[in-house]
This record gives sequence, structure tokens and C-alpha cells, in this order.
Amino acid sequence: MTSLFNRWLPGVTLLVWSAVLLFFYFTGRIASYLQPSFRVNVLLAGLAMLLMACCFLFLPAVANCCDEERCGHPLGRRKLGRFVTFLVLILPLAAAAMVSPNNYSADVVNRRGIVTNLDGLARRNGNRVPAPQTASTDNPSEPALPSKDGSTPAPTAASTDTSDADQYLPKSKDGNIVVQVIDLLYAAQDTSMRADFSGKTVETIGQLMPDDSHNASGNRFKLMRMFMYCCAADAKPIATLVEAPSLPSQAEMSWVKVVGKVEFPIEGGRVIPILKATSVQQVEPPEDTMLY
Amino acid sequence: MSWFSFHFPDFALSFLSIIFEGIPFLVLGSLASGAVEAFVPRETITRMIPKNFAASIVVSALLGLVLPMCECASVVVIRRLIRKGLPLPCAITYMMAAPIVSPIVALSTYVAFRGQNPLVMTSMRMLLGFLLAIGIGMLVRDIPAEKLLQPSMIDALPNKRRTGLSMAVAGDDSAPDLVDEGVRGKLFRTIQSATADFLDVTFFFVIGAAIASTFNTAVNQALLVPLATKPGRSVVTMMVLAFALALCSSTNAFIAASFQMFPPSAKLAFMLFGPVFDTKLFFMYGAVFRRWFVMSLGIGLFIVIALVCTHLGLILDL
Repeated sequence: MTSLFNRWLPGVTLLVWSAVLLFFYFTGRIASYLQPSFRVNVLLAGLAMLLMACCFLFLPAVANCCDEERCGHPLGRRKLGRFVTFLVLILPLAAAAMVSPNNYSADVVNRRGIVTNLDGLARRNGNRVPAPQTASTDNPSEPALPSKDGSTPAPTAASTDTSDADQYLPKSKDGNIVVQVIDLLYAAQDTSMRADFSGKTVETIGQLMPDDSHNASGNRFKLMRMFMYCCAADAKPIATLVEAPSLPSQAEMSWVKVVGKVEFPIEGGRVIPILKATSVQQVEPPEDTMLY
Repeated sequence: MSWFSFHFPDFALSFLSIIFEGIPFLVLGSLASGAVEAFVPRETITRMIPKNFAASIVVSALLGLVLPMCECASVVVIRRLIRKGLPLPCAITYMMAAPIVSPIVALSTYVAFRGQNPLVMTSMRMLLGFLLAIGIGMLVRDIPAEKLLQPSMIDALPNKRRTGLSMAVAGDDSAPDLVDEGVRGKLFRTIQSATADFLDVTFFFVIGAAIASTFNTAVNQALLVPLATKPGRSVVTMMVLAFALALCSSTNAFIAASFQMFPPSAKLAFMLFGPVFDTKLFFMYGAVFRRWFVMSLGIGLFIVIALVCTHLGLILDL
């Protein structure tokens, strides 16, 4: 019985944890949970736990660092505590791993509140299109776009050239500028980015959500993506408005690709991006369901 | 929209993401704790502490830089360090500082707050955590160990004597310390000890992640907006959350950073109070210290951190 609690249960616990971590890492599902710089940590932790588990399963290791009377581990002093520890460590993890989706439901999106401007969102430069080196230097009243670490880049001589925007903006095979939802929110706050996108045909993907607040004409919807800082737990829904000849027939939260021209009208006292859609097509979810 | 609606798949997504984000830091901390147990002899600990009281407290507050522990592990470790000859005020100072003033916590805070003034948040957290720990170490200087420690703790530590600085406990000569077991044996013991720490700490981490995920996915967060807007109220709200969520100090910065609607001063209070006093620590401290001391510690820390962070928020516009 002592062997069960001191050796086999810790060994099995470590093995299960290791298996879950390595499974999510090697199947690529980790992309929906963590931003890239954290993902390798999961691999390393999974391997470390596998090594620790092997010590318990194949060597006579025991998780008993203290002597019984002076043990500082409150759960390790009693067999019931060790069994409860085992259940708490295994059951929630296993159940969550079995049912966890790669996307939140519409309910969570609504509960977190969809952000349609960047005022409440700390700025990052993750998987959005490369920021033009021209950022804001032609307009002293607007801050330059921050770099990945959040600092503001200093203006450079090269950064005054705005003529070759097409060279750094990625294009689809149809010749459309490929953007992410967050790029359009950035552009709404940046004159030079607005110039890059305004009136041009762009394509972007996101999840379809109804728009209740800016939709007097009844032909607008939101194109939503989840934006995460570190992990899915801190993800915030962000969206740009899309105006289509008629509302698409796809269900709420469907993944769609929208092609259209970008405009930046002033509504409610601020510049907002609106994508005037020429086509809305249902597509498969992208590999990285979240932006970062 | 109702204020609460639980949907297990959403909960699972949030729960796993917190687990995946935090567990590497827990593994790292547990291995460090195991290595201390296996490789650091008690003579090393006593040699590291200066004879001068003030200097010994400062060194203890910085000990987390070389012996990084999360808050659960630090409670475990100080019992061992006291047995290895560390004076009680130094042990308490280390227990308060290690969950905050450590390279792992500094790194995780910096990473979590990327895009949200990471350097300011990290340095403020380190500095205030350091000062708080020193303050508590100074305060307990003149309190006899018998009034601070549980009787069972005192009884379990034979050969107690005064060391000149304060009541401390000499190493129990009869207790096994580091036997000559070779590097391979020490590595083996590191893994055994690390696993015991890991299982214990992860138990509380899983519960904390579950509570945090329930809050993140099931609670209508618009309800928090009124609490997040006023400086004092937002600080107190985040401190209560820190106590209730009982997150690990090496990962709680990630949770703090995710509370977008709260100001930085409230997030700072969350990151200062949680690692030194939360639901799990309340019980763990009680296994070492007398109840009056645990209660006084909690109330005192709450008031001081709330006042400091509220004023910092107002003065520095955090």
C-alpha cells in the first residue's frame, strides 16, 4: 500500500501530465492555447515530467522527501491526502483534455465583450502583417506603432518612405492584400497605415458575429478574432465591422473569408475600419485560431 | 445576459491554457527545490547569513535570487532551512521574499506583461516585494519563537538555542542531512524531492486554475467594470481575487495581466498579495505558525499593500 502511494501514484500522475503536454505539443493543438514563445516550455516540461515519471516507474523512487513526522507537504502526510491529490491532479486535466475545443463559444465572446478599437488593448506585434517602417512619422500627433516588446521604435531615415507599401504587405494569389482583423484596428489609429489600406482590396478571415450597435442599415456584421497576450485564458475578442450587400447566411461563429475594400469613416467621434465586402465565403478554421 | 453561465468546453480551453502556461514554471521551481534539498548542506546556509541582524535580513530577502521558490515550496523549504540553522526572522523574511524576489518570477512577470510596461511592472513588483519582506523580518525580530511557531514545530526541533540574533533553532544533529551518496544519488534525491513538491504545489495550482477559468469563462465580466474603475476599489478587488484564486507566484502574473479592465496598480497589488497570503497559504502557514500570527500577517499585509498600491496608482498614474 505504501508503495502505491509513494511510488506508483506519483509515477502515473507524472506520466499522465507528461502525455497530455506532449500530445498537445506534437499534434499542434498547443497553437490554440499559447502564443508561440511559450510553446517550447510545454515541450520541455513534458519531457522533464516524462523523465521524472520514468524514475518512479522503472527505478525505486518514492515521492517522500520528508520524514513522516516533519513533512512540510500538507497533502502528503496522510494516505487520503495523497489519494485526493492524485484525483485532483488527474481527473480535471484528463476531462479538460478530452473535451477542450480550439475556440471559445459565442457565449464567452459576448461575456468578455468584443473590442472594436484598440483603446483597451495593450499593443503587440505578433502575427499581424509587418508594420510599415513609416509608422506615424508623418503625423506627430499619433504615436508610432510599438515593436514586439511594447517599446516605441525610433523614427529612422528609411521610415519616411511611404511609396512602396505594396512591397511589404503580403498578397494572396488573387492579388488581394492579406490582413488580419487587428491590422485594420491598428490602421484606424494610424494615418500611414490607413493610407496603405484605404480603398484597396483586402482579404481577411475571422468568425462571423452579429453587430447590434452600429447597424442601422441592417447589413453590417462583425468579423471577430480572439487576441491573446500569453494564453487562451487572457484572450480578448476583437472585431472589425463588415458591410455587405446582404447579411451572410452562415451561422454565428462560422469561420469566413471576407474580400472587400477598406474604408475608414468617422462614426461616434472616432475613426473606425469598415470592410465593404464583395464576397463572404465560409472557410476552414486557420491553424492559429488566435491572434497574438 | 445572466451574470453566470458555465459551459465545460469553454472552461476546459481556459483551464488547459493556464495549466500549459504555468506548469513549466512549476516544474522548474520544483526541480530547484529538490536540488536545494539534495545539494545544499546546512553549513552553506548558515555561512550565507551575516552576523549583523539588518544585513542578515537583507541577505535573506535576496536569497530567493539564488534559491528561487514559489510560495508553496518556500513554506516547505523554510522548515528545512530552520532545521539547517537559519534564524527565524531570516526564515520568515525569505519565506515572504522568495515567491516574489526571484529570477523565475521576474522572468514570468516580464513575459506576462509584454505590451503592458513589463519593465515597470517587474521592477515595481520586485522592489515592493523586497521591502515588504524586510519590513516583516524586522517586525518579528523581538518576538520569541515560541510565540510564533506552532508547539509541534518547536517540539519537532530539538536542541533549540539562542544564536545571538534571535531565537533560532540549531540544526538537529540527529536528523539526516546530506549523506555521502554521490552525484547520481543526489540527482535521484532531487527528482524524488522535486516530485513531492510538484505534486503538492500543483494540487493547489489546479484548483486555482479551475477557479480562475470559471471566473474567466462563466462570469459576465461587465459586472466587474464598476469595481475596476476606482483606484482604491480596484486594488482591493484584485487583492480579494488574489486571495481567493490562490495562484502560484511563478504564474500569477499571467492571470493578473489578463484582467484587462483593471489598472496596473491593482494588478501590482494582485501580484504582491497573492504570493504571500492566499487561501492555500492560510492553511499552510497554519501548519508552521500560530494562528494569531497568521491572522495578523494576513491583515497587516492586506492593509499595507492596499495603501501602497492605491497611492502608487494615484501618484504614478499606474
